[in-house]
Amino acid sequence: MRASELFGTATFRLAVFFALAVSVSTAVVFLFIYWQVATFDVKRLDAILVGEVARAVTQPEDRLKRELELRFTSDLRRLDYAALFDNTGKLQYGNVAAIPKDLRIDGAAHIVEARSLQSTDTGTEPAVFVAGRRQDGGTVLLGRSLYEVNALRRVVFEALMIGVVPAVLLALASGIIFSLRMTRRLKIIHETTLRIMRGDLQERLPAHGKMDDLNYVASAVNLMLDEIVRLLQQIKSVGDNIAHDLRSPLAAMRTKLERGLVADSSKELRAAAECALGDLDQALATVTALLRIAEIESGRRRSGFTGVDLAQVCANVFELYEPLAETKRIAFTLDAPVPLPVFGDFELLVEAIANLVDNAIKFTPKGGAVAIVAKMIGDRPAVRVTDNGPGIPAGERNHIFKRFYRSGKTRHVPGSGLGLSMVATIADLHGFDLRMEDNRPGAIFEISPS
Amino acid sequence: MLANGSLDQVLILVVEDEPDMAREIAAQLTSLGYRARIAETGAAGLEAARRDRAALLIVDRMLNGIDSLPMIETLRNEGIRSPVLVVSALASVDDRIRGLKAGGDDYLIKPFAMDELAARVEALLRRSSDTSATTLQVGPLKLDLIARSASRGERTLDLLPAEFKLLEYLVRHSGQTVTRAMLLEDVWHYRFMPRTNLVDVHIGKLRRKLDLPGDPPLIRSVRRSGFILHAGE
Repeated sequence: MRASELFGTATFRLAVFFALAVSVSTAVVFLFIYWQVATFDVKRLDAILVGEVARAVTQPEDRLKRELELRFTSDLRRLDYAALFDNTGKLQYGNVAAIPKDLRIDGAAHIVEARSLQSTDTGTEPAVFVAGRRQDGGTVLLGRSLYEVNALRRVVFEALMIGVVPAVLLALASGIIFSLRMTRRLKIIHETTLRIMRGDLQERLPAHGKMDDLNYVASAVNLMLDEIVRLLQQIKSVGDNIAHDLRSPLAAMRTKLERGLVADSSKELRAAAECALGDLDQALATVTALLRIAEIESGRRRSGFTGVDLAQVCANVFELYEPLAETKRIAFTLDAPVPLPVFGDFELLVEAIANLVDNAIKFTPKGGAVAIVAKMIGDRPAVRVTDNGPGIPAGERNHIFKRFYRSGKTRHVPGSGLGLSMVATIADLHGFDLRMEDNRPGAIFEISPS
Repeated sequence: MLANGSLDQVLILVVEDEPDMAREIAAQLTSLGYRARIAETGAAGLEAARRDRAALLIVDRMLNGIDSLPMIETLRNEGIRSPVLVVSALASVDDRIRGLKAGGDDYLIKPFAMDELAARVEALLRRSSDTSATTLQVGPLKLDLIARSASRGERTLDLLPAEFKLLEYLVRHSGQTVTRAMLLEDVWHYRFMPRTNLVDVHIGKLRRKLDLPGDPPLIRSVRRSGFILHAGE
């Protein structure tokens, strides 16, 4: 990866921002510590010196000298200044040559550049001085070099630098490492996505390892891909089925037309054309049914939903099919005693129930019985269409709602094989359940709001 | 009511952008004795409709990718009242409703049988503007639309409400072929075709009530397309 690419990543920018934030906050803490160290020690010194001078100005001279002497002997590091001047400003005793010019003699602490008396070093160094006037006109001068304090400050400052710089570097480094790792993973995802886009639908995004946010998204995308693949396969199988179901009538039509063309009489030709037209109609009916299913599945019809009485729907279907049942000598009954209000599309519900009734009448032999029951079952309205025909073998029950599925037993009965798919689609649009049960003998189909 | 001799006077305007389809429709109309004129675009159709005063318009819903409903609305706004049969590959209910709202009088979905087209054209051309009549009579058949009762000659017919509606529709279209799809749409108000012989069994049942043995049958089947109620001898 090129550097510019790395610096452009969101992760890296985040890391830089993080490093900055760490630096600033650490610096604030360190500055506070530094300031505390620097001022606390000086203040303490000031207080002590002020107190000592206040006491010294009142003491007799001989005693004061003794105390100063004691002070020098205990001051091994030569940090203390102490001196007694007479009223003319001449040094009586001590290690300071003269009263510093800019030091006010007021008993308060002042920081001035002091020159040591006996030391060999020529430079000056900052020191805290307190000077007090004695009653005899003399001056007591006490002080302490700030060398120690400054050294402490330096040490603290160095310690702070040693702390901040690695912290910032560490933040930057971890930023780079994280963004490299993240970018590598994103790159893999990007490449995988491109491969999927080019048609390799079996590819999946890497989502192993622990469930971090990226893996979480990746596994969601993988689930989506699984669903897309499933839908595609479904569409493909539907497409295969369409091709198959259209192929048969088209092939039959072709043979008939071919035979008609070589026929001797126009009568034969006419018969062939008519036959072919019938095949074509069958093929078109299949296409129309598929388009209708697609239209219903698109869900646009839901906008036309109103309050619908399921009992009325059943009554309409009953009225439509009664003569047909009569001609087949099938006992056809309707049991819909009370209104069953639901929310839906009246015509589609009629179509769904009509398809169920149509199937029941189609597959029930002469003398059988078909019934529509529209009632409250439990606490919800339900429509049941029952028959005592051959029923559906247990092994085929899972397939009957699939498009074009036709039971092996009924292959000879004409039909598009789309009736139950249509019912399932309409039920689905309404959010209704469609169930099939065994009537021993025969079948029960039930539609009910879920 | 049109006499047979004047059929060649009837001009039908076919507004259709697919040349094959337009030719087939025109040929079918000519073979039925109508005069057909083809317009291939909405603008040409509009112009022809203004100029020729066609008795009927057959308009494709999509003309070179342009919805033709605004054209129909324009015609209606200009006071041209000729019936319009919208022919469409768009099969959804919404499209159908919009087609009828825009001023179409009937809506036929492609692909259709030419017999279906012929029956619809005939029905639209003969559509009676008089809907206020309270009785209908065709030959020996009398319908009282207020009492919802029917009789053939002296014999009162015992009809169920649905059977009466079916008979009323046939009587209103007497002498014309009505297709199974027209009956399902107009009598039952369903636009799906559950199975082809469903309408036939209803007609069969009605027939048994209309005709006693020896009576001349009133409803005849028309091969491949539908039924026709005849005025009698």
